Amino acid sequence: VIEEEDLEDPLWELEMALLESDVEMSVAEAILDQIREELVGQERKFTESTGDLVDEALRDALLSVIGVGQFDFDERVAEAEKPVVIVFTGINGVGKTTSIAKLSKYLEDRGLSSVIANGDTYRAGANEQVREHAENLDTKLIAHEQGGDPAAVIYDAVEYAEANDIDVVLGDTAGRLHTSSDLMEQLAKIDRVVDPDMTLFVDEAVAGQDAVNRAREFDDAAEIDGAILTKADADSQGGAAISVAYVTGKPILFLGTGQGYDDLTRFDPEALVADLLGMEE
Amino acid sequence: MVLDDLGSSLRGTLDSLRGKSRIDEEDVEKVVKEIQRSLLQADVDVSLVMELSDSIKERSLEEEPPGGTTARDHVLRIVYEELVDLVGESTDLPLEEQTIMLAGLQGSGKTTTAAKMAWWFSKKGLRPAVIQTDTFRPGAYEQAKQMCERAEVDFYGDPDEDDPVTIARDGLEATADADVRIVDTAGRHALEADLIDEIEEIESVVQPDRSLLVLDAAIGQGAKDQAQQFEDSVGVSGVVITKLDGTAKGGGALTAVNETDSTIAFLGSGETVQDIERFEPSGFISRLLGM
Ligand SMILES: Nc1nc2c(ncn2[C@@H]2O[C@H](COP(=O)(O)OP(=O)(O)OP(=O)(O)O)[C@@H](O)[C@H]2O)c(=O)[nH]1
Ligand SMILES: Nc1nc2c(ncn2[C@@H]2O[C@H](COP(=O)(O)OP(=O)(O)OP(=O)(O)O)[C@@H](O)[C@H]2O)c(=O)[nH]1
Ligand SMILES: [K+]
Ligand SMILES: [Mg+2]
Ligand SMILES: [Mg+2]
Repeated sequence: VIEEEDLEDPLWELEMALLESDVEMSVAEAILDQIREELVGQERKFTESTGDLVDEALRDALLSVIGVGQFDFDERVAEAEKPVVIVFTGINGVGKTTSIAKLSKYLEDRGLSSVIANGDTYRAGANEQVREHAENLDTKLIAHEQGGDPAAVIYDAVEYAEANDIDVVLGDTAGRLHTSSDLMEQLAKIDRVVDPDMTLFVDEAVAGQDAVNRAREFDDAAEIDGAILTKADADSQGGAAISVAYVTGKPILFLGTGQGYDDLTRFDPEALVADLLGMEE
Repeated sequence: MVLDDLGSSLRGTLDSLRGKSRIDEEDVEKVVKEIQRSLLQADVDVSLVMELSDSIKERSLEEEPPGGTTARDHVLRIVYEELVDLVGESTDLPLEEQTIMLAGLQGSGKTTTAAKMAWWFSKKGLRPAVIQTDTFRPGAYEQAKQMCERAEVDFYGDPDEDDPVTIARDGLEATADADVRIVDTAGRHALEADLIDEIEEIESVVQPDRSLLVLDAAIGQGAKDQAQQFEDSVGVSGVVITKLDGTAKGGGALTAVNETDSTIAFLGSGETVQDIERFEPSGFISRLLGM
């Protein structure tokens, strides 16, 4: 029978491995609690080591976190009434605008048209950046002057899509930190005015412990339906995916895997867990 | 001492030592555990945290507290000394003619930091110029140009040229009148071999007096490998931590200075050109320990 003491060392090592993979500490601890609860008192077969049992329990625990709420994005978009309005949120520089450009290409590859709305009326060069993407992709762009009302831009794009039979509206927003209450309130306002069909939270796979704070705050300000994790090509440990899925209870839908328009892949929970389990050398 | 205002759990643990004059292994173990938690939650590299805590433990038990110090103050001083030892003072930046190159991951804040630093140098009475060599990211030229207008500093870029090395060369010539030339580069990470080659080429043309690695305060355990690669490629003389106006603790910067044997130069805490300050160790250490 497995006693609590038998687990102390393997679980400590596991906690360090999870932290090394950028799983946030309280999330790592919750996962360990789940494993402990499951294993203590369990009969160990003669051939099994405690380590093997821990690994198995870890796999299950990780899968249950990261597999949360997975839905078929393509199907949902295909079946929804058009235009489908998707708003992208997240902190500064994580890759919202680039992900929108990639998604426009992704949709076009699947026979769906889109219009991009530049709701970032704040950052220097934001209009020029998104315009260049739109031109490269031959996607219609709706943009206002710098300093304009972001909700109004997205609203205009929805009207354009309705008038022109466009399938999907991709609404960008300016990057903001969750500590800025004014900007978070602005995000909540966009959410109320635009009432999007889907809100996708964008974060980067290289993020560490802070991923939980921002995921929680963004989800509170404008409830998210799913997340995109960018920069997965930068040798990230993958733990941010666990943290974001755990605190929001919403699925990771896509991974950004580079700066090209095709560097967007559907997220595969099993593959991520396999990667993470590769972590304990 | 700066550490008097510690995070609540760490303070609680240390408070249990308040009255004691001698410290035993169990006490130290408890304190070290809390310090480990704080540092790990601040994104400091796991193995670096273990090294630090071993050394704190060893010193706390071996070193004789100076007469009259309580066990609590003794441990506190050691923690502080170890961390100060690691982060060091702010990167030395003489107010004289120089060329500074910025490097770092995509979206870490390089372009914004270039304009902020130019603004900072202009307030010190020097004439700065920013050279934008990013030919890859859409809108990079306009972004840098607009930020430099806001900072009221000189700017060089060439939207029609697609070779960053050429822009760097031409930019140095065009800004010969400036005292401080700040060279912005496109974002890249350690695994992009082509882009790493590219920044090595830019570096060899620019011959910067300093190369600064720009790091997002929220970067996780990847900071170590990234810093190592930039150190190998262009040599890192200092680190800039951005987005400290959020809740991330910036522990990746500690990892980076350890990895590159450098120091921290600037802190960024907002999107406007004035949101920059020189690094100051005690505030940063407080943040790391969760105060
Ligand atoms: N390597 C890599 N780089 C990426 C990825 N996604 C985005 N980037 C890069 O990250 C940088 C920032 O991307 P943006 O799309 O401008 O990010 P943003 O969130 O819109 O930024 P703000 O609008 O300033 O908040 C750019 O240099 C992008 O090319 C990715 O999946 N991998
Ligand atoms: N809140 C906050 N935002 C910042 C800070 N520094 C930069 N930003 C924002 O972060 C985002 C990325 O900044 P950039 O300066 O474009 O980053 P970069 O490293 O030049 O990006 P690439 O050139 O694409 O690699 C922008 O939205 C900036 O406004 C900071 O200290 N605080
Ligand atoms: K160095
Ligand atoms: Mg953007
Ligand atoms: Mg830039």
